[in-house]
Amino acid sequence: MGRFAIRRLAGMVAVLFAVSVLTFLVFNVIPSSDPAQRMAGKNSTPQLVAGITEEWGFDESLPQQYLTMMGNIFGGEVISYEGRENVNERIVEGIPATFSLCIGAAVIWMFFGVLFGYLSAVRAGGLLDRVLTVVAIAGISMPAFWLAAIFLNYLTYQFELFPSGGYVELSADPLGWANHLILPWVTLAILYVGFYSRVLRSNMLDAMGEDYVRTARAKGLAERRVMTRHVLRNSLIPIVTLFGLDFGALLGGAILVEAIFNLNGIGQYAYESLRNLDLPPIMAIVLFGAFFVVLFNTLVDIAYAWLDPRIRLGSAAR
Amino acid sequence: MSEPLLAIEGLRVGFRTEGGLVQAVDGVGFDLAAGEVLAIVGESGSGKSVTAQTILGLTRSPNARIEGSVRIAGRELLGASDAELQAVRGNRIAMVFQDPMTSFNPVYRIGDQLVEAIRAHRRGLGRDAARDLAVESLDAVGLPEAHRRAERYPHEFSGGMRQRAMIAMALALEPEVLIADEPTTALDVTVQAQILELLRRLHRERGLATILITHDLGVVAEVADRALVMHEGRIVERGSLDEVFYAPKDPYTRKLLGAVLRLDRAAPLRPARQAEPLLEVAGLVKHFPLKRGGLAIGRGADRVRAVDGVSFSVARGETLGLVGESGSGKSTLSRTLLQLLAPTSGSVRFESREIAGLSRRQMRPLRAEMQMVFQDPYASLNPRKRIGQIVAEPLRLHGRATGAELRRQAEELLERVGLAPEHYDRFPHEFSGGQRQRVGIARALSLRPKLIVADEPVSALDVSIRAQILALLADLQEEFGLTYVFVAHDIGVVRHVADRIAVMHEGRIVEQGPADRVCERPADPYTKSLLAAVPIPDPRESRARRASSAP
Repeated sequence: MGRFAIRRLAGMVAVLFAVSVLTFLVFNVIPSSDPAQRMAGKNSTPQLVAGITEEWGFDESLPQQYLTMMGNIFGGEVISYEGRENVNERIVEGIPATFSLCIGAAVIWMFFGVLFGYLSAVRAGGLLDRVLTVVAIAGISMPAFWLAAIFLNYLTYQFELFPSGGYVELSADPLGWANHLILPWVTLAILYVGFYSRVLRSNMLDAMGEDYVRTARAKGLAERRVMTRHVLRNSLIPIVTLFGLDFGALLGGAILVEAIFNLNGIGQYAYESLRNLDLPPIMAIVLFGAFFVVLFNTLVDIAYAWLDPRIRLGSAAR
Repeated sequence: MSEPLLAIEGLRVGFRTEGGLVQAVDGVGFDLAAGEVLAIVGESGSGKSVTAQTILGLTRSPNARIEGSVRIAGRELLGASDAELQAVRGNRIAMVFQDPMTSFNPVYRIGDQLVEAIRAHRRGLGRDAARDLAVESLDAVGLPEAHRRAERYPHEFSGGMRQRAMIAMALALEPEVLIADEPTTALDVTVQAQILELLRRLHRERGLATILITHDLGVVAEVADRALVMHEGRIVERGSLDEVFYAPKDPYTRKLLGAVLRLDRAAPLRPARQAEPLLEVAGLVKHFPLKRGGLAIGRGADRVRAVDGVSFSVARGETLGLVGESGSGKSTLSRTLLQLLAPTSGSVRFESREIAGLSRRQMRPLRAEMQMVFQDPYASLNPRKRIGQIVAEPLRLHGRATGAELRRQAEELLERVGLAPEHYDRFPHEFSGGQRQRVGIARALSLRPKLIVADEPVSALDVSIRAQILALLADLQEEFGLTYVFVAHDIGVVRHVADRIAVMHEGRIVEQGPADRVCERPADPYTKSLLAAVPIPDPRESRARRASSAP
């Protein structure tokens, strides 16, 4: 298990390197115009362009340029020429809001996704299953921006139950923190609840036909134990994969929801930067997001090996 | 007279389907006395497995309609509550299933799965005491180092070990009745012999009443006291083994007995073959590198020697039987012969021309000369294509015919293999296993090949269907002068179709020679053990063989 994890982590470093090279190529090499010119953005002056060329080494060889770019990004020296501010600082500032949003939403969607999926699989074909199917399809079909608008209109402006947005520090005011985040959490989670419950339902229905489930019944286990220990346990394995990928991608920026609820997180920063075509922060956020996608991919692999002994021993035993 | 241990009366199980009610079990009744072994014999679809599962209330489809009576020691089980059934399952009546690969949950340790069964019924038993009982039970079925093995996961066990563990789980709570549903069908023949010996020993030592469900009359002759023959949901024959085997009253039983290919009977004489070799194989090797996960870094030592230096030749018009157990390399060899897998080294000569190492493009014209028939008639036909398209595809690909002519040739082929031209527009799922295998044969035949490699062509088929397909293959061989390489695990079948037999074991051919000689006077110890393990569907001979081999 340990060796397996180490191998996977080593693989992750290799993938991250490849991602950074790709990012470098996409932003600085493939477009035909002068990268310094594009980075300077609207405030472009000859002095600024010359300064950028100097700072990013755009007159040097490509490998050197790559190294300089990575040095700048990881050294925390990337400056947005548009907003005249340090990009890394802005990203670090955005982490609490983004992480609060994503982790909270993930807890909600995993809880309800698994609960609804389990209930509709166990009662497949029954009334509860049909109701949950409708709920799930509705959840999948509602676009986040529309749902957010509905929430804001009714729950915030009409009935004044929840604040319209903004982020409150958890350490400063835990209740305010949660109160401000409830609508964004629910908005973000609803799509995934629907999706996960459908996937889990069909996984469980497949698993119910497995021979080992018949064996479990033939042993004289109670139906609930058959469902939880055998059917649900084995059906959760693919859900873990999905979760790792979705969650990793979200940490790189839940752009829409952050922007709507004015959560000053990484997603909102990405949104601002995109609107201003401000390249340095976009580059940094792309790398930041890619890091989490790759990290969670790796964690999923490791979790998989922990959940499914066939993978763990199949590769380590030899 | 006192109540028998298990009494089944007027059992009917029907399934509502779109096409109406399908009566899978249609009025089955029998008793099981303490300490007896009752075999239920039947082909697929006879209702034998549904009967077994219904006894334990495991027929759970909402579309099922179940009538009749199932009583254990006078207590009715049909219609009993979940809690009552749970108290009986695994505790008074235990069950062992066909496929030991899939019957354990892959994510839990074997020992934990036994403990779970034990603690479901002995609530008061502590974790450690339950574990001791589980290990004791694994030990009793002859699992070596049971204490250590209990900590292992199912995929770390071989098929035979898993089936032992399955039996241990069934017997841990000392049930009164054991239902074994095709317990050895998924196993190699030598492993089957061990499991049957285990069942006999457990029966001797514990006097356990057993219902053995099987399609294999050889298995019946080896272990049962009494037999029922099921056909289309009904019991058509019942009696002692001697009655059923030597004085069958029902025509279906007679047909079933007649269709069995016995290893201990010589095949009808076959005409002598021309000596000219069609296929010559010398020093053929196929190794697979082992992937080490993550980045694949080649390491010379880590390889599976699937085929490890094999030499033989097949004469024109001859049938070579290639026999081996799972993992012997016979399937890899058959694919390597046709260059579907590139050999690691060695030579394959077809009509004196070296084909090992030819490129795909160079092989293409030769593909028409050598075709393959696969084991699983369900998986080897594309479910979205019509039967006619499947048969015509090779003709179309090789540009042999187009349009109406293509259709005419395909229809002719269908007719030749015993299907009707009207079947052209149907889909594979509309056909039975035997019919699908006919389609597979028609496809292989379409280009008029010289060589057909048949990889377990009849092992997925029922006994009576098997005989028909083998007869078809023999007819086609006469008519078209075909040469067969017939790959199979069942040496009994191979003896009846092959001129010569080559026995494979661990990637090598350990013995080859004329079929009758190999079967009657085997020289290699592995061939001997393989032959000794084949159950003989003849209770008297089976008893005699056991008596002579008993220590």
